[in-house]
Amino acid sequence: MQTVPDFLKNLSLFQDLDLPALSTLAALLVSTKISARAVIFRESSDSDALYIVQTGQIVISKHVQGEVDIVLTRFRSGDFFGEMGLFDAAPRSATAHAETDSILLRLDRKAFQQILADYPEMAARICYRLVTVFIERLRSTNEQAREAIRWGLEATGYSPTNDHVSFGRKST
Amino acid sequence: MADPAKLELLTRPAGEAGFQIFEIDSHHAYWAYKPRRLPQTEWEITAQPTGADGARHFVLKNLRQDSYLLLSSKEYYLWEYFDGRHSLEEIARDFHLAFGAFDYALIRGLLTKLHNCGVIEGQYLIDLRSSPAGASGRRWSRFFAWGLKKWRGLSFRLPQADRFCSILYERGGFLLFHPLTFWASVAITVFAFTLALRSGPTAANFAYFIKERPVLMASVMLATVLLVSLLHVLFHALACKAYDRRVREIGFFLLQGIVPTFYADVTDIFMSSRRVRVTVDLAGPMVEVVLGSVAILSAHATSPGIEQALLLGIGISLWESALINLYPFNFLEMDGYNILSDLLAMPMLRQQALALVPSLPQRLRSVKTIERAEWLQIGYLALCLISVVIYLVVHVDAISSLIRLA
Repeated sequence: MQTVPDFLKNLSLFQDLDLPALSTLAALLVSTKISARAVIFRESSDSDALYIVQTGQIVISKHVQGEVDIVLTRFRSGDFFGEMGLFDAAPRSATAHAETDSILLRLDRKAFQQILADYPEMAARICYRLVTVFIERLRSTNEQAREAIRWGLEATGYSPTNDHVSFGRKST
Repeated sequence: MADPAKLELLTRPAGEAGFQIFEIDSHHAYWAYKPRRLPQTEWEITAQPTGADGARHFVLKNLRQDSYLLLSSKEYYLWEYFDGRHSLEEIARDFHLAFGAFDYALIRGLLTKLHNCGVIEGQYLIDLRSSPAGASGRRWSRFFAWGLKKWRGLSFRLPQADRFCSILYERGGFLLFHPLTFWASVAITVFAFTLALRSGPTAANFAYFIKERPVLMASVMLATVLLVSLLHVLFHALACKAYDRRVREIGFFLLQGIVPTFYADVTDIFMSSRRVRVTVDLAGPMVEVVLGSVAILSAHATSPGIEQALLLGIGISLWESALINLYPFNFLEMDGYNILSDLLAMPMLRQQALALVPSLPQRLRSVKTIERAEWLQIGYLALCLISVVIYLVVHVDAISSLIRLA
């Protein structure tokens, strides 16, 4: 079976780290098994960790109304989520469910703060990659907003091909 | 067309653990959409008489926004279903059963029209026509587009036209629509026409005086025609008030984007009968006819000279102006055209006829398949074309003189 450092080595988030750094990081990660359909964290709950998907599939959703959420995205092996929890203590902005049986590697905020304090160079490399991912996700959010608006327009019958049709009589 | 936008929804069944995920595409949601028209206090709908083409139209008025829509009988059928209880899928099914076919574009187009008119709940108003992407292109074409836009935008409106017309109508305007006024006008016109016919042989004398002072004569006649065209428009508006209908606007614009003219927006008369519409249409040209008659009568009472020639010139100009206005076949939506479209109950005759032009050669190749409505449109186009050609031929001298002057 693949070791945790070997698994981490292939992740874009940690691609700038060497093997000793990866081993240091691996020691700080906590492996968690999650059953299919289980909730990993809920929207508005306390946020205090980042999760890396080792196996399985995670769905991230945001509450809309009643018992209905809108699916924002899915994460598969090698992806990570919950990264906001590393930087601020604000409540979770979305809910994470396991869509299949999954294994997650959890990095607590305290552990991350320890990396920042003890291994600043390693922390800088991780943060650089995090920023890159943030930017990518921000772009993806813009695209999602556009799609949601397009959905709303199409669902209510907006048709860009139809010109405004007015009727009237101007007597001259 | 682009693929429909998709949304994924995650739902949690009540009292159970876990969740389910559904994907809903926008088209699916659209067919589940239940359009709901505004409460009946917000709009008014009037059935128009059955047209000469066999079609029936309805005019829908948004009472709050003062906007109007022309609906075909199929669109009216759909409108009746927009009660918030029927989904578009159900409506489409019923429509198919009623008419034997259903075109999805019809319902989409109608909803867009209704949204724009503001008579459907949950409406949105988006104007994407002036997209920044349209700003590209060569400099001269941009300049041309800018010039065209400015030319077409050459217009002004009288604020609170309806209030102004109401006051004018109440303070004496109503007298103009008394039956006695009408019969007096007819008498004056008949009398003036008889006198004008008698004066025919002496027309050369009048022409002599006109030739003597051409600039003065032309200026006075032009100013009079301009002033009378203002009165003409005002009469349309007052006639509209006589039937207790709203005057949306009075102003100046380019008719069909070409002819500068004054106008009165009397769309509200579509909520009245056909007779009322024709009366309102006729009210304007009556001004030219009656004032032209008065000018001719005055000319007759004046001794020969420049004043007499001027009065006669004005009278003839006003009559000619009324005639042009009442002639329906000139491609323009003037009073004659409005009367024709009212009598035929084909409110979009000109637009339909012009829309037919690109496919006309093809349609004429299979004459047997041409429908009654298309024959009427072809007839209108043909008469317009012939009339314009005759007008140009008759006035060829005047046109060549103008070109020489230029």
